[in-house]
Amino acid sequence: MFEARLAGDRLQLIGRLDASQVEVAREAMNRLNASGVIDFGELEYISSAGLGMLLGIQKRLMESGGTLKLINMNRHIREIFRMAGFDRIFVIE
Amino acid sequence: MEKSFERDFRSLGDIFAFTDIFVEVHGFEESLRYAVNLVIEELFTNMVKYNTGGGHPIEIRITVRDGHLRIELIDDDVDPWDPAQVPEVKLDRPIEERRAGGLGLYLVRAIVDELTYEYKNRQMKVTAIKNLERQNV
Repeated sequence: MFEARLAGDRLQLIGRLDASQVEVAREAMNRLNASGVIDFGELEYISSAGLGMLLGIQKRLMESGGTLKLINMNRHIREIFRMAGFDRIFVIE
Repeated sequence: MEKSFERDFRSLGDIFAFTDIFVEVHGFEESLRYAVNLVIEELFTNMVKYNTGGGHPIEIRITVRDGHLRIELIDDDVDPWDPAQVPEVKLDRPIEERRAGGLGLYLVRAIVDELTYEYKNRQMKVTAIKNLERQNV
Protein backbone atom coordinates (compact mmCIF):
# COMPACT_ATOMS: atom_id res chain seq x y z
CA MET A 1 0.00 0.00 0.00
CA PHE A 2 1.31 3.45 -0.91
CA GLU A 3 -0.25 6.87 -1.00
CA ALA A 4 1.02 10.41 -1.67
CA ARG A 5 -1.03 13.32 -0.30
CA LEU A 6 -0.21 16.84 -1.48
CA ALA A 7 -1.32 19.88 0.51
CA GLY A 8 0.22 23.14 -0.71
CA ASP A 9 3.99 22.68 -0.88
CA ARG A 10 3.95 19.75 1.58
CA LEU A 11 3.78 16.17 0.30
CA GLN A 12 3.06 13.34 2.71
CA LEU A 13 4.24 9.85 1.76
CA ILE A 14 2.39 6.92 3.35
CA GLY A 15 3.16 3.19 3.29
CA ARG A 16 5.72 1.41 1.12
CA LEU A 17 7.37 3.22 -1.78
CA ASP A 18 8.68 0.38 -3.94
CA ALA A 19 9.38 0.15 -7.68
CA SER A 20 5.72 -0.55 -8.46
CA GLN A 21 4.61 2.71 -6.78
CA VAL A 22 7.23 5.14 -8.06
CA GLU A 23 5.01 6.63 -10.76
CA VAL A 24 2.32 7.43 -8.17
CA ALA A 25 4.92 9.36 -6.13
CA ARG A 26 6.46 11.00 -9.21
CA GLU A 27 3.09 12.28 -10.39
CA ALA A 28 2.48 13.94 -7.00
CA MET A 29 6.01 15.37 -6.82
CA ASN A 30 5.81 16.80 -10.33
CA ARG A 31 3.15 19.13 -8.97
CA LEU A 32 5.76 20.76 -6.69
CA ASN A 33 6.91 23.95 -8.40
CA ALA A 34 9.89 25.66 -6.76
CA SER A 35 10.46 24.04 -3.38
CA GLY A 36 8.67 21.52 -1.24
CA VAL A 37 8.62 19.58 2.00
CA ILE A 38 8.35 15.81 1.83
CA ASP A 39 6.98 14.31 5.03
CA PHE A 40 8.30 10.77 5.55
CA GLY A 41 6.54 10.36 8.91
CA GLU A 42 4.22 7.59 7.71
CA LEU A 43 6.53 6.09 5.10
CA GLU A 44 7.69 2.62 6.15
CA TYR A 45 9.99 1.75 3.29
CA ILE A 46 11.78 3.12 0.25
CA SER A 47 14.01 1.33 -2.26
CA SER A 48 16.43 2.55 -4.93
CA ALA A 49 13.52 3.21 -7.30
CA GLY A 50 12.16 5.86 -4.92
CA LEU A 51 15.63 7.27 -4.26
CA GLY A 52 16.26 7.64 -8.00
CA MET A 53 12.93 9.38 -8.45
CA LEU A 54 13.72 11.83 -5.61
CA LEU A 55 17.12 12.53 -7.17
CA GLY A 56 15.44 13.47 -10.44
CA ILE A 57 12.92 15.76 -8.71
CA GLN A 58 15.67 17.45 -6.69
CA LYS A 59 17.69 18.13 -9.85
CA ARG A 60 14.64 19.62 -11.57
CA LEU A 61 13.83 21.90 -8.62
CA MET A 62 17.45 23.02 -8.24
CA GLU A 63 17.52 24.15 -11.88
CA SER A 64 14.78 26.63 -11.00
CA GLY A 65 16.44 27.68 -7.74
CA GLY A 66 14.33 25.47 -5.48
CA THR A 67 15.01 22.45 -3.31
CA LEU A 68 13.36 19.63 -1.39
CA LYS A 69 13.35 19.36 2.40
CA LEU A 70 12.79 15.86 3.77
CA ILE A 71 11.34 15.52 7.28
CA ASN A 72 10.33 12.87 9.84
CA MET A 73 12.27 9.90 8.40
CA ASN A 74 12.34 6.68 10.39
CA ARG A 75 15.81 5.42 11.28
CA HIS A 76 15.81 2.66 8.66
CA ILE A 77 15.05 5.03 5.80
CA ARG A 78 17.57 7.53 7.17
CA GLU A 79 20.19 4.78 7.11
CA ILE A 80 19.35 3.93 3.48
CA PHE A 81 19.80 7.62 2.59
CA ARG A 82 23.16 7.60 4.37
CA MET A 83 24.31 4.42 2.60
CA ALA A 84 23.33 5.91 -0.77
CA GLY A 85 25.12 9.18 -0.01
CA PHE A 86 21.80 10.99 -0.32
CA ASP A 87 22.26 12.64 3.09
CA ARG A 88 24.80 14.86 1.25
CA ILE A 89 22.41 16.03 -1.45
CA PHE A 90 19.17 16.53 0.47
CA VAL A 91 18.24 18.66 3.43
CA ILE A 92 17.02 16.11 5.99
CA GLU A 93 15.44 17.25 9.25
CA MET B 1 10.55 -21.01 2.05
CA GLU B 2 10.23 -20.73 -1.70
CA LYS B 3 7.70 -19.31 -4.11
CA SER B 4 7.56 -18.14 -7.73
CA PHE B 5 6.36 -14.71 -8.82
CA GLU B 6 5.34 -13.26 -12.19
CA ARG B 7 8.15 -11.13 -13.63
CA ASP B 8 6.36 -7.85 -13.16
CA PHE B 9 6.93 -4.96 -10.72
CA ARG B 10 3.30 -5.47 -9.66
CA SER B 11 4.40 -8.73 -8.01
CA LEU B 12 6.19 -6.73 -5.29
CA GLY B 13 3.11 -6.62 -3.05
CA ASP B 14 2.86 -10.42 -3.10
CA ILE B 15 6.63 -10.71 -2.58
CA PHE B 16 6.50 -8.49 0.53
CA ALA B 17 3.60 -10.60 1.87
CA PHE B 18 5.77 -13.69 1.32
CA THR B 19 8.82 -12.18 3.06
CA ASP B 20 6.66 -10.87 5.92
CA ILE B 21 5.63 -14.46 6.72
CA PHE B 22 9.29 -15.54 6.72
CA VAL B 23 10.29 -12.60 8.92
CA GLU B 24 7.49 -13.34 11.40
CA VAL B 25 8.33 -17.05 11.59
CA HIS B 26 11.97 -16.27 12.35
CA GLY B 27 11.25 -13.37 14.70
CA PHE B 28 13.44 -10.92 12.78
CA GLU B 29 13.54 -7.35 14.08
CA GLU B 30 12.32 -4.45 11.94
CA SER B 31 15.76 -3.50 10.61
CA LEU B 32 16.27 -7.02 9.28
CA ARG B 33 12.78 -7.04 7.75
CA TYR B 34 13.76 -3.87 5.88
CA ALA B 35 17.04 -5.41 4.72
CA VAL B 36 15.35 -8.60 3.45
CA ASN B 37 12.68 -6.64 1.57
CA LEU B 38 15.22 -4.27 0.02
CA VAL B 39 17.62 -7.00 -1.10
CA ILE B 40 14.81 -9.05 -2.66
CA GLU B 41 13.16 -6.05 -4.35
CA GLU B 42 16.44 -4.83 -5.88
CA LEU B 43 17.47 -8.26 -7.16
CA PHE B 44 13.97 -9.09 -8.42
CA THR B 45 13.47 -5.77 -10.25
CA ASN B 46 16.94 -6.07 -11.82
CA MET B 47 15.95 -9.49 -13.20
CA VAL B 48 12.68 -8.07 -14.54
CA LYS B 49 14.48 -5.12 -16.16
CA TYR B 50 17.60 -6.76 -17.54
CA ASN B 51 16.97 -10.48 -18.04
CA THR B 52 15.63 -10.88 -21.55
CA GLY B 53 14.24 -14.12 -22.91
CA GLY B 54 11.82 -16.66 -21.52
CA GLY B 55 9.25 -14.69 -19.57
CA HIS B 56 8.82 -17.37 -16.90
CA PRO B 57 8.03 -16.57 -13.25
CA ILE B 58 11.05 -15.87 -11.00
CA GLU B 59 11.58 -18.21 -8.06
CA ILE B 60 12.59 -16.77 -4.68
CA ARG B 61 14.07 -18.97 -1.94
CA ILE B 62 14.87 -17.75 1.58
CA THR B 63 16.55 -19.88 4.25
CA VAL B 64 18.36 -19.40 7.55
CA ARG B 65 21.21 -21.69 8.50
CA ASP B 66 24.11 -21.41 10.93
CA GLY B 67 23.45 -17.74 11.66
CA HIS B 68 23.31 -16.76 8.00
CA LEU B 69 20.39 -15.65 5.87
CA ARG B 70 20.49 -16.99 2.32
CA ILE B 71 18.37 -15.40 -0.42
CA GLU B 72 18.28 -16.97 -3.89
CA LEU B 73 16.48 -15.76 -7.00
CA ILE B 74 16.27 -18.10 -9.96
CA ASP B 75 15.29 -16.97 -13.44
CA ASP B 76 14.88 -19.68 -16.10
CA ASP B 77 15.35 -19.52 -19.86
CA VAL B 78 16.96 -16.07 -20.00
CA ASP B 79 19.78 -14.55 -22.02
CA PRO B 80 23.13 -13.96 -20.28
CA TRP B 81 23.53 -10.63 -18.46
CA ASP B 82 26.67 -9.38 -16.82
CA PRO B 83 26.00 -7.57 -13.51
CA ALA B 84 29.45 -5.98 -13.84
CA GLN B 85 27.89 -3.76 -16.55
CA VAL B 86 25.82 -1.97 -13.91
CA PRO B 87 27.13 1.60 -13.57
CA GLU B 88 29.45 2.33 -10.66
CA VAL B 89 27.94 4.51 -7.92
CA LYS B 90 30.12 7.46 -6.89
CA LEU B 91 28.91 8.82 -3.57
CA ASP B 92 31.30 11.77 -3.49
CA ARG B 93 30.04 13.35 -6.72
CA PRO B 94 27.91 16.53 -6.61
CA ILE B 95 24.22 16.12 -7.32
CA GLU B 96 24.63 17.25 -10.93
CA GLU B 97 26.81 14.19 -11.56
CA ARG B 98 24.84 11.66 -9.49
CA ARG B 99 22.87 9.07 -11.46
CA ALA B 100 20.19 6.66 -10.24
CA GLY B 101 21.62 3.74 -12.25
CA GLY B 102 23.39 1.07 -10.22
CA LEU B 103 22.06 2.33 -6.90
CA GLY B 104 20.00 -0.78 -6.15
CA LEU B 105 22.88 -3.20 -6.59
CA TYR B 106 25.14 -0.84 -4.65
CA LEU B 107 22.74 -0.96 -1.67
CA VAL B 108 22.45 -4.76 -1.89
CA ARG B 109 26.24 -5.12 -1.80
CA ALA B 110 26.39 -2.81 1.22
CA ILE B 111 23.81 -4.88 3.12
CA VAL B 112 24.86 -8.46 2.38
CA ASP B 113 28.18 -10.23 2.97
CA GLU B 114 28.28 -12.25 -0.26
CA LEU B 115 26.61 -11.73 -3.62
CA THR B 116 27.16 -14.19 -6.45
CA TYR B 117 25.69 -14.54 -9.92
CA GLU B 118 25.68 -17.89 -11.74
CA TYR B 119 24.58 -18.51 -15.32
CA LYS B 120 24.21 -22.04 -16.65
CA ASN B 121 21.90 -23.72 -19.18
CA ARG B 122 20.05 -20.43 -19.73
CA GLN B 123 19.27 -20.15 -16.01
CA MET B 124 20.43 -17.15 -13.97
CA LYS B 125 20.75 -17.61 -10.25
CA VAL B 126 21.71 -14.84 -7.86
CA THR B 127 22.59 -15.71 -4.26
CA ALA B 128 22.88 -13.18 -1.44
CA ILE B 129 24.21 -14.29 1.96
CA LYS B 130 24.01 -12.16 5.08
CA ASN B 131 25.55 -12.78 8.48
CA LEU B 132 22.67 -12.24 10.89
CA GLU B 133 24.98 -10.89 13.59
CA ARG B 134 26.01 -7.93 11.45
CA GLN B 135 24.34 -4.53 11.70
CA ASN B 136 21.31 -3.98 9.49
CA VAL B 137 19.70 -0.88 8.01
